[in-house]
Amino acid sequence: MTTTAERQMDLTLPMVPDIEIAAARAAGNLARELGMSSEAIDEMAHAIIEACINAREHSGSADKRIYVRFVGSQTDGHPRIDVWITDRGRGFDATAARSRRQQLGVTHKRGWGLQIIEAHMDEVEITTSPDGTTIHMVKYEKPS
Amino acid sequence: MTEELRVAVDRRQGGAILFTKGYINNVGGEEIANRAYELMDGGVRTLLLNLRETKIVNSIGISILIEIIEKMMDKGGRIAFCCLTPVIHKTFQIMGLANYATIFTDEEAALRELGLQA
Repeated sequence: MTTTAERQMDLTLPMVPDIEIAAARAAGNLARELGMSSEAIDEMAHAIIEACINAREHSGSADKRIYVRFVGSQTDGHPRIDVWITDRGRGFDATAARSRRQQLGVTHKRGWGLQIIEAHMDEVEITTSPDGTTIHMVKYEKPS
Repeated sequence: MTEELRVAVDRRQGGAILFTKGYINNVGGEEIANRAYELMDGGVRTLLLNLRETKIVNSIGISILIEIIEKMMDKGGRIAFCCLTPVIHKTFQIMGLANYATIFTDEEAALRELGLQA
């Protein structure tokens, strides 16, 4: 297995409307440079958008900032992007959120962010505490 | 930073088509809802949303689209979508929207099936 040098990008974004688009575009630019397919980039963009919206809408962070890190790499010629979306808010009960979403239907219109993130990304890990939340997501181009 | 959604309306015999261009977020969803409710108040019961020029949606915007579908269903009408990107189609399926609205690959098939004439 051959892994190329990593490329890293760090952003600190204000919690203002539509800022999630800035994060998604930055990740998309990095992914395109690494040769990721447009559909994989599109899926990653939608997951990043939901993660940023969760941070903005629900974190209750005092500093009103979203901390974003992208790390791009290639393994055996296949691009991979690691994304960390962090807020310094109050955290949340991830187990309860996962349980609640299993009851969602069309009559429950909100609360789909985590499910969308997990459907569009290849790996998702949530670390949350009263000091904040980090969602680490991975998207990689699968060998054809 | 703003990503305004534009909505164009094409009235047809038997219904209407809404063409969206841009990001369907909370503001964009409300813009679509306003146009859809105007049409519904005017008697339209068949509505096609053509999302050919929308490449990004979020869950808040989709939740508003679901509200529009529910209101149309309450009136005995029908809403359909066409020209979705694969990722938007997948997101609609995740949120259950695809269970309550027909999704067509292209506009021609949608117009034929819905009976929307020029």
